[in-house]
Amino acid sequence: MIDKGVGPTIRKVIIYAIVIFLGLICLLPLINIVAISFSGSAAVAANRVGLVPVDFTTTAYNRILEDNQFWRSFMISAVRVALQLVLNLVLIIPTAYVMTKNRREFRARDIYMNLLIFAMLFNGGMIPTYIVVRNLGLLNTIWALILPGALPIFNVILMMNFFRSQPKALEEAAVIDGASPLQVLLRILVPCAKPSIATVSLFSIVGSWNDFFSGLIYMQHVEDYPIMTYIQSLSIDLAELVKSATSSTLENLTELSNRNLNAAKIVVAVIPLLIIYPFLQKYLISGMTVGSVKE
Amino acid sequence: MKKKSPKGARTLNKSHIYYHAFVLPGMIFLLIFSYIPMLGLIMAFQDFKPAQGFFKSKFVGLKHFQYMLELPDIGRVIRNTVIIALGKIIFGMILAIAFAILLNEIKVKLLKKGVQTIVYLPHFLSWVVLAAVAVNLFNLDGAVNQILTSLGLQKINFLGDNAVFRKLIIGTDVWKEFGYSSVVYLAAITGIDPGLHEAAAIDGASWWKRVWHVTLPGMLPIILLMTAMNLTNVLSAGFDQVYNLYSQIVYESGDVLDTYIYRIGLVGRQYSFGAAVGLCRSVVAAILLVSANRITGRFTGQRIY
Amino acid sequence: MEKRTLRKILSFLLAVAMLLALAACGGGNDTPSSGGNNSSNGGGNNSSNGGGGNNDETPSAPIVVTMGRQTTANPKFPDGDNYENNAYTRMAEAELNIDIVDEFEAENGEDYNRQVSLILSGGGMPAMMKVSSKDEVTELYESGMIADLTDVYNQYASDYVKGIYDSFEGRALDRVTYDGKIVAIPATASDAGTSMCWIRQDWVDTLGLTVDEDGDRCLTTDEVKAIAKAFKEGNPEGVDNPVGMAFDSALTAGSSEGTNMINAFAYAKGAYPRLWYYNDNGEMTYGSTTPEMKEALRLVRDWYNEGIIDSQLGTRTWDDITSLLTNGQCGMVFGAWHVADWLLNNVYSLNNNAVFTPYAVIDENGKVNCTHANATGEYVVVNADFEHPELAIEILNLFYDDMVNSQELLDKYPDVNTYLNTGVDGTARPFNIEVKSNTYLLDEYACLKAALEGTGTKEEIPTAEERSNYDSITAYNEGSGDVTGWCKIHSRCKGVDLLAYLTDNNLYNWISPVYPETTETMNTRWSNLQTLEEETFIKIVTGATDLDSGFDEFVSNWKSQGGDTITAEVAEQFPQ
Repeated sequence: MIDKGVGPTIRKVIIYAIVIFLGLICLLPLINIVAISFSGSAAVAANRVGLVPVDFTTTAYNRILEDNQFWRSFMISAVRVALQLVLNLVLIIPTAYVMTKNRREFRARDIYMNLLIFAMLFNGGMIPTYIVVRNLGLLNTIWALILPGALPIFNVILMMNFFRSQPKALEEAAVIDGASPLQVLLRILVPCAKPSIATVSLFSIVGSWNDFFSGLIYMQHVEDYPIMTYIQSLSIDLAELVKSATSSTLENLTELSNRNLNAAKIVVAVIPLLIIYPFLQKYLISGMTVGSVKE
Repeated sequence: MKKKSPKGARTLNKSHIYYHAFVLPGMIFLLIFSYIPMLGLIMAFQDFKPAQGFFKSKFVGLKHFQYMLELPDIGRVIRNTVIIALGKIIFGMILAIAFAILLNEIKVKLLKKGVQTIVYLPHFLSWVVLAAVAVNLFNLDGAVNQILTSLGLQKINFLGDNAVFRKLIIGTDVWKEFGYSSVVYLAAITGIDPGLHEAAAIDGASWWKRVWHVTLPGMLPIILLMTAMNLTNVLSAGFDQVYNLYSQIVYESGDVLDTYIYRIGLVGRQYSFGAAVGLCRSVVAAILLVSANRITGRFTGQRIY
Repeated sequence: MEKRTLRKILSFLLAVAMLLALAACGGGNDTPSSGGNNSSNGGGNNSSNGGGGNNDETPSAPIVVTMGRQTTANPKFPDGDNYENNAYTRMAEAELNIDIVDEFEAENGEDYNRQVSLILSGGGMPAMMKVSSKDEVTELYESGMIADLTDVYNQYASDYVKGIYDSFEGRALDRVTYDGKIVAIPATASDAGTSMCWIRQDWVDTLGLTVDEDGDRCLTTDEVKAIAKAFKEGNPEGVDNPVGMAFDSALTAGSSEGTNMINAFAYAKGAYPRLWYYNDNGEMTYGSTTPEMKEALRLVRDWYNEGIIDSQLGTRTWDDITSLLTNGQCGMVFGAWHVADWLLNNVYSLNNNAVFTPYAVIDENGKVNCTHANATGEYVVVNADFEHPELAIEILNLFYDDMVNSQELLDKYPDVNTYLNTGVDGTARPFNIEVKSNTYLLDEYACLKAALEGTGTKEEIPTAEERSNYDSITAYNEGSGDVTGWCKIHSRCKGVDLLAYLTDNNLYNWISPVYPETTETMNTRWSNLQTLEEETFIKIVTGATDLDSGFDEFVSNWKSQGGDTITAEVAEQFPQ
C-alpha cells in the first residue's frame, strides 16, 4: 500500500519463496517417512524412496494390524496418557490456585512455592528415583510411568500465571458471599480458565505420549513398554550387535532390514498427536505467551 | 488484625485449611518422587556399593568430584554440551525471529495458516520419531547424500563423522523448534504499534530499515527475555535427541553431559561418580536459572516464577 | 489453630518421609529379586533331586528361579511362545522341577546392561543372571552378592561339561576363580582364527590372475597387494571409483579375526595390536606400541601412498565398506570365517555371480601368526541368597550336555527339537551363553564335511545348526541359488575349512595374550590412550604424520600418559 515500484514486488516474491521453502523443509522429511512406509522393502533397502512411495504397498500396515506387541504398547500409552492427564489436572489446578495467593493471604504460600522451585531445580537423579519407585512396588506397572511426573512444576507455574491474569473482582465478590475456596476454585476460576486448562492438558498429553525414557527405566519386560519406548527399541545398532553376538544372532541381521515396517509403526504412533494437533495449535499461542517459559 | 470481625477471622483460618488441603496431595507426590530421591545424592560423597546401601557405604568426601576434574572425558563432554547448546540457542533464535518477521509479511491468509500448521508440527513430535526420520535422511545412502552425489559433491557421513555430527545435532534441533519458538516473536511483532511503521514508511524508510529500526527494537524486550531463559539451558543439550542419534563413533563430538551421566552413572554402574557429575550439573543449572529469573525480573518486569 | 494445623501437616509429612526413606534405603533385601524366598515352601526335599528326568516322583511345588534374561530383537518364536514360556524353559521346568520367572528381560547390549545396573543399584539381584564383563563378576564377588559354586560344580557338573572347560586348559575356569572359589559359570569362546583375506574369485577368473601359485591357501603380503592392485586397475565391474582394499577407521582390533581391520598384516609383521602379552624377553607388552607395529603401519602407509588402499580411509564405517563391496568397487575384504554369513551375503544378494575365496596371510617364515581368544567374556552368576545354587549347574548340564548329546531328551521334548531345527534364537535358552569345547568349530565342521562328502551322514552331525547348514548347502548345490546356502558354503566349506587346513598342516604360530580387567589407571586414562592410538595410526597411514618420528612420539606419549602404569597394573594381574 505504501510501497511503490518494482523493488517491493521482488522483495515480496523473495519473502514468499523463503517462507514456502521453510515450510517445505519442515514437511518433506515427514512425507519421506510416510512414503517409506508405503514402499516395497527392497526399494527402501536400496534407498530409492524419496517423496513418493516406490512399489506402492500396504503390506507394512497389514503387518502392523497383526502385531500384538505394537497394539499392546499403543494401548499402554493411551491408558497412561489418560490417567496422567487426570492426575496432573487434579494436582496442578489446586496447587496453582494456592500459589496465586500472596504472603498476606496465606503465609505458608512461600514455603510451598520454594519447595516447588527447589524440586524444579534439583532432582535426585535416575538411580535414587528408581529405587523409590521399586520399593513402592511400582516397577512394571503403569503407575511407574505416571506417578513420578504427577506434579509437573513447570505447568503449575504456567497455571498460576493464568489464574493471576484473571480479574480478582469475581473471586472477591464470591468470598464476600461466603463461598469457600473450593467453591471459588470450582465455580469461578476453573470455568474461566478453560483455555488454560486445555493448554496444560495438551502439554501433559504430548509429554506423556512422547516420553520413552521412563519406559526404558521402569519396565523390565518389553511387553510392558509404552509406545515410544517400543519404537525406540526397534532401532538397531549394527556395530553393537556384531560386537557381542553369537553366530546365531548374527544371522538375524540379514532379516532386520524392516525399515518400511518401522516407518509404518512410526506413522501410526504419531497419528494420535495429529488428531489433537488442531487443538494444540489453537491453544499454542496462549501457552507460549502467558507462560513464555521453557523448562 | 484486631479490628477484623470474629467472622472474618474464622473465614481466614478456614480458607487456610483449604489451602493446605489443596497443596497437600501435590506435596506428597513431590516429597516421594523428588525430595526422597534427593537424599540419594548422598551417594555422590560415598563409594556407593549397592549391597551395602546408603547407610553402610563408605564416605569418601569429595573424591568423586576430584576424580571428575582429573578425568579428561569431562572436559570433552562439557565442551560438547556447551557448543551444542549455544549453537541451538543462537541459531534457533535467529531463525525463529527471522521467520516470524517474514511470516508477518505474508498476507495470503491460507498460505500463512498452512505454513504455520506445518512448521509448528515438529515441535510436538518425539525425538524417538524424529531421530528415525533423521537417520533415514542423513545416513550415508540417505536422501541428503543422494542429493549431494547428484550435485557432484562428496557424500557426508553425518551420523558418523566427528566433524559434522554436532552440526547435525544443532541443525535438526533448530529445524524441530524454530517454528514453535517463532510463536512468541510473532506475538511480539503484532504487539508493535502499526503507526510506527507507517511513520517510518512516510519518512521514506525502506523495508529493511523498518525491520531494523522499528520491528526489531519493538521485539527487543521479548528477545532479551527469551535469551536469558534459553541460556539457562546451556548445560542441557537435549538428552532425547543426542541419545537417539549418537553412537560410539561420535562420542568425541556428540557426547553431552546428560548422555554421559546416563552412560557412566547408570549403564556403567559408577553410581557415585554419576551422581557427583549430575549434582554439579544441577547446581550450575540452578544458579543459571535463579540469575536469569533475577535479571529478567529486573529488566522486563516479567519473572519466570 | 492455623499454626496447629500446619504443625500437624508438617509432622505428618515428616512421618511419611521417614517411612519412605527407610523403605528406600533398607528395603533392598526383601524384594522379589532375592530369588530364593519362595523356594522354602517346597524346596527342601528337592535338593537331592539330581539332574535327569525323574520329575514324576516329586509332586512338590516347583522351586521358583528368578532370572535376568538377555533377549534379541527377532527371536523367531512360534506363535504363543515367549521368553518366559518356551520350549526350552518348559523342558527345564519339567526336568528340574523349577519355575523360571523372568525378573527382567532386555535386549543384548546397552538395554541389558542398564537393567542389570538398575537391579543392582537397589541391592537386589535375580537368582541367576548373565553378566558380560569380568569387572562385574569381581564387583559382585567383592560385595558378597554372588554364590560360591565350587562345591556344586564339582558335585553336579557332568563329565562332559567338565571336559568342555578343561579343553581350554584353565583359561576359562581360572577367570572365574577368586580366592580359590568358582563364583560364576563362564561362557566359552573358542579361538576365532586368523583374519582371512576374502577375495572375489569371479574377478580373479575374469581378469585371468594367478593367485596362490603354490596352492598352500596362504598369501604373502606382497601377493595380497598384487591382487588388490590388479582388482583396482582391472575394475572388472566397470565402476566409477574402484578401491583396492578398505579398512575401518579404527584400523586394528584386539581380537585375531579383526573384521575390516589391518590385523592380518600386523600379525604377519609380528605385531598384535590392542593386546597384552609377555614378549620374548618376559616383559609385559602392549602390542600397539611395538616396533613390529611400526613396520605394519609402514606397509599400510606405503600401500595407501600407492593408491591401493581406499583414499577415504579414516572416514569409512562398516556400512560404507559393505557398500563398497556390494557396489563392486572393492573385491577384497578382511575378517573372520563368519563374515560370509552377515557381510558377504549382501554382495551375493545383489550379484549372484559373486564368489569369494578366503586366504590366510603368512609372515616371512611362512607361518600364520594367531592369538588365542579371550576364553570367556560372559558369565552366569547366582545370587548368594538363592538356596539352590546347584540348579544353575543342572541347567548347565541340561542345555550344554544332555540337549547336545541325548537324542532321548529331544524325543521327549519334540518342540525343543523343532526349535533347534527352525533356528529359534539361542537367547530363548534360560542361560544365553555358549558352552562349547575349544575345538567345537572344527569338530562340527569335520562331521559336516563328512556328511557332504558322503563319508558320513546328516544324523551324525552333532548340532542342529550344522544340520540345518547341511540342508542349506545341499539345496544350494542342487541349484536353489538360495543366499543362505551360498553363505554356509562360504563360511563353512571355505572359511572353517581354511582354519582346519591351517591347524592340520601346522601352519599356525599361536600367541597367548592376557585379557586384563579394567585397572585403576585405565578408568581415567584408557579412553584417551585409545584415542591417541587410533588418531596417530590413521594419521601415519594417511601421511598426515611422519611414520618414524610420529610413531616414536606416540610410544613415548603413550607411556608417559599412563601407559607405563597400566602395563605394570596388568602385569600385576597376571604374574608370570
